[in-house]
Amino acid sequence: MTALPLVGFVALSSALFAVGLFGILTRRNFILVLIAIEIAMNAAILNFVYFGAFSNGTAGLTGQAVAVVLIGFAATEVAVGLAIVLALNRVKGTINVAQANELKL
Amino acid sequence: MSLEELAFIVLAAVALFTAVAALLVRELVHTILWIAVFFVDISAIYFLLEAPFLGVLQLGVYAGAVTVLLLFGVMLTRKRIFSREAVTGLDAVPLSLAVVTFIFVVTAVGQLPQSSETLSVYDPTLLSQNLFGTNGPWLLLLGLLMMGAVAGSIYLVREGRE
Amino acid sequence: MDLSSFAGPFLPEILLLAGTLLIFLLDVLGIRRIEVTGAVAAGASALALLFVVADLGFAPLAFLANLSAGQVDVAIAPGATPLYAFTSLGLVFQGIFLTASFLVALASMSRPSNERGAPIFFGLLLLATLGMLLVTIASDLIFLLLSVEIVSISTYLLVAYTRKDVRSLEAAMKFYIIGALSTTLSFFGASLLYGAYGTTNLFAIRAVAGSVGYPVLVLLGYGFLIAGLAFKATLVPFHAWAVDVYDGAPTDVTAFLTGGSKKVGLFAIFLVFLGPVLFVAPGAGGSPFSGGTVNIGPVLQVTLAILAVLTMTVGNVLALLQKEMKRMLAYSSISQAGYMLIGIVIGTSPALTGATLQMFANVFMKTGVFLVVAGVTALGVGPLIDDWKGLGTRRPLLGVAFGLMLLSLAGVPLTLGFVSKFVLFSSAVEAQGYFVWLAVAGLLNSALSVFYYARVLKVMFFDRPEPDALPTGAVAGGSEPSLLAAGGLGYARATAIALIAVAVVAFGVYPQPVLGAISNAAQHFIHVGP
Repeated sequence: MTALPLVGFVALSSALFAVGLFGILTRRNFILVLIAIEIAMNAAILNFVYFGAFSNGTAGLTGQAVAVVLIGFAATEVAVGLAIVLALNRVKGTINVAQANELKL
Repeated sequence: MSLEELAFIVLAAVALFTAVAALLVRELVHTILWIAVFFVDISAIYFLLEAPFLGVLQLGVYAGAVTVLLLFGVMLTRKRIFSREAVTGLDAVPLSLAVVTFIFVVTAVGQLPQSSETLSVYDPTLLSQNLFGTNGPWLLLLGLLMMGAVAGSIYLVREGRE
Repeated sequence: MDLSSFAGPFLPEILLLAGTLLIFLLDVLGIRRIEVTGAVAAGASALALLFVVADLGFAPLAFLANLSAGQVDVAIAPGATPLYAFTSLGLVFQGIFLTASFLVALASMSRPSNERGAPIFFGLLLLATLGMLLVTIASDLIFLLLSVEIVSISTYLLVAYTRKDVRSLEAAMKFYIIGALSTTLSFFGASLLYGAYGTTNLFAIRAVAGSVGYPVLVLLGYGFLIAGLAFKATLVPFHAWAVDVYDGAPTDVTAFLTGGSKKVGLFAIFLVFLGPVLFVAPGAGGSPFSGGTVNIGPVLQVTLAILAVLTMTVGNVLALLQKEMKRMLAYSSISQAGYMLIGIVIGTSPALTGATLQMFANVFMKTGVFLVVAGVTALGVGPLIDDWKGLGTRRPLLGVAFGLMLLSLAGVPLTLGFVSKFVLFSSAVEAQGYFVWLAVAGLLNSALSVFYYARVLKVMFFDRPEPDALPTGAVAGGSEPSLLAAGGLGYARATAIALIAVAVVAFGVYPQPVLGAISNAAQHFIHVGP
């Protein structure tokens, strides 16, 4: 694991972040939006781990600690999103973001 | 090229492919299968980066819990589980935004020292000392956040009596 | 164990947490009446507010301040990296957030007493306020963002709490998607900053004093971070979601969103912005793209200045075009965020005082107007501004209270809104440079905003209602409610509205105590650092 530069790692996470960003902005189904959010969150978590692994001393540990907290946070966020969408599905029968037209745009 | 590098390149390719595939396939259940592979793949990257604790956590929380949650989300919100999504195209503006983001971040990180002699390897004991000692308040905050999320979510999805 | 040094400064937070848990416990025990849960929420907020005011040095409450004495504004040893620190400016903001939560909790007690979501509403209200208090003491990026997320998650669920209303559920979904997007942006930005600085601690970042070796990476990190927080603070161009959410949410929740949670975004921007801008080593210079050690502060400052002008102008122009009361007020709330951003951008101690005072004023005005709208809607008045015809003549007390809030929003002399705008704009002029143009833009926008506030006043006081368009609330029965009766609004809501109206005038006529406290806090913050 020696010759690969940091930028190679970050290329992966920023590509994933870009994919996630694109997904959040374009997908119509709420579940797909949730998945896109998770892809982007994973990219941010990966970043923390890389930068931690590439830095020296205890500063690097912080990156892993952040990653642990963020994994827990992201799972909570998904649960809340699903709760909102299940409630909406019950009264409206659709979870399509584009069909959320009760509000004027 | 060492075996680790090869492994990383393969894992990175799989991660990108599954992420894109998850957002592009037309059946939601397939999406969830792809995203499960994605989560497992990221977990493998953690193992490769000498962060086994994170790898296990990623497997348990993401590949396990989140995937199942999403699957339940799909099951509970549609009448037929296998039904196709309308195809959505590759809109120009978000796509270019994403590409620009990618280029910017990669260029910017190129400025950093690309120190690649050895990866720092951390003992899980040290990690737990950091997590519960110095940075303990983070976990407290996470706990508060989860309390609100659980209370509110249960209330939202509970069948009302009215 | 020395409990007072450990738990003393956290007393407001502990009170709010205890309140939340008590409400959930009462819910489990089957005690769900809105008067009970609401009283717990309002009581916890009020008590916490008392502690905060005492800590700020309000003499009559000095006995309370002893509980946490000596913990505020303690100088941080060089090299120390605590996750949180108590500053008097943070305390002022705690007071602002607690005021919002107290007023909303008080007014909400007037909703139907068998309302089903009451425990969850008040529980999440307190939890969101707790998150806000934690934001004010944060001195670590992750601590800050997690606290912001406590607020966000609670408010997504608050917007959805009616559970059966399609409009609020859709607003919640929209709020959630935008919120999650902004969270992702913030955390990604924080990860880049961690890569550049090797730490997430704001003190450690400030020690580098804005002069960094990897300017593009840092700028990008700050860009993502501030973009994410700008969504929460509804800055243009990250504002598009706000009006729909404010419009679709239950109006009491909207009052809390505009009065409280949007200022969380602004305060968080302020905290992260502070490091690179205020703590710049003298002599640092050079362009961010030339490599080497450069000062990135000015770039951030100009960017935020542009955002401030855009936010004010777009918010005001769109507010002028609205026909619905709630949407008009939502746009005006967006433009208000622009005024507050001016003070943050300039970053001098008077400007900071102005921005804080503006937020202090805003918490009364914006919470107040939405609480009135919620009450009036419950009386059966429609959503359009024209539906409010003649309300001021038929309900003089309510009309006068609402009118005072609008006058204060417009910045008419002898109101709190005038004082805050005066301090803010004069600080911008004092700061010289291009900041003067910020003051000019602010003044022009204030003038513009007078039009739509005046239109509402005209409709309320001078337009005759069409006879068949009389609202069917308590008023329609023929007998005018007496001046003292709350007349369908409910006593709790009427009390909250009256308190706000009195505060708007009282602090407008006699702002010295508040101004003094805020100015001290701001000076301390700038000179000593948190």
